[in-house]
Amino acid sequence: MRARDNPFRSERVLSLRYRLGGNWDALLARFERLGRRAAVVGPHGSGKTTLLEDLAPRLREAGFTTRPLRLDTETPRFEPGFLDRFFASLGPRDLILFDGAEQLGALAWHRFERRARAAAGLLVTQHRPGRLPTLVETSTTPELLETLVAQILGDAAELRPTLPALFERHQGNLRDALRELYDRYAAVSI
Amino acid sequence: MSALNLQLADAKTKYRPGERLEGVAFWELSEKPRSLEVRLYWRTQGKGTVDLEIVRSVAFDGVALNDRRPFSMELPPGPYSVSGKLVSIVWGVELVAEPGGQSDHLEITISPSGEEVRLDRGGKS
Repeated sequence: MRARDNPFRSERVLSLRYRLGGNWDALLARFERLGRRAAVVGPHGSGKTTLLEDLAPRLREAGFTTRPLRLDTETPRFEPGFLDRFFASLGPRDLILFDGAEQLGALAWHRFERRARAAAGLLVTQHRPGRLPTLVETSTTPELLETLVAQILGDAAELRPTLPALFERHQGNLRDALRELYDRYAAVSI
Repeated sequence: MSALNLQLADAKTKYRPGERLEGVAFWELSEKPRSLEVRLYWRTQGKGTVDLEIVRSVAFDGVALNDRRPFSMELPPGPYSVSGKLVSIVWGVELVAEPGGQSDHLEITISPSGEEVRLDRGGKS
């Protein structure tokens, strides 16, 4: 199957939005109560980045300017001088959305967190709780995987029997589970 | 109600590198746009990160709410339109009005044969 025809191509997977259990207003109200300094906590592939992306427009609607930052295993640190420029450009309504805060070591995090106090808020993603109060914990279930697969395919009936094992194999990491489905479809000769 | 439309000359969608792409953009807008332009772009689709590059653009000046403008641009030497199991490179032309981002787009192929090159079939179309 051509990559462009693969139903699990990344643009389709990235178009899936976070399925919040509660409502967004309640989540934003909790963020306010936490002094706008909080963390989205959850394991790999559980939707932390998606949730952060989905919160961004809502925070902008609330009058903030969102300032995204991202670190991951491929880019685990900022380039020299980047953070100096970043913090020098911060405005009073700027709210930092830092995806992958766990990539910073303890000392670097301490420095970052102190400098970020000049911002209107700081929301980070991390795999374990601790550095900032937890705003929300992201988690996954086999049923969520099935829902997302159904959303992509229109109907998950054909794959349904295989999804619980797929979920287990990837230990609940939905991103990796959907990548495996990409590979399965890629192997189909069309 | 607003509408933007693109038409390529002779409804052609298969091109060779270096060939001229010609067409007409026409629109019916409810508000005067800040900018209106035709963009030639390629993007990747597949398992990895989506890459996108706008290769050429033609901006229209002094546009009316209802207007019709021809455009022409030389196609670049590459990359070719290709598809494998992991990635496809897809070419397109779009007409975009800003602000608002309202658009119309058409997909085209660019390769020596005019057909998409299939990497999963040993480079045959």
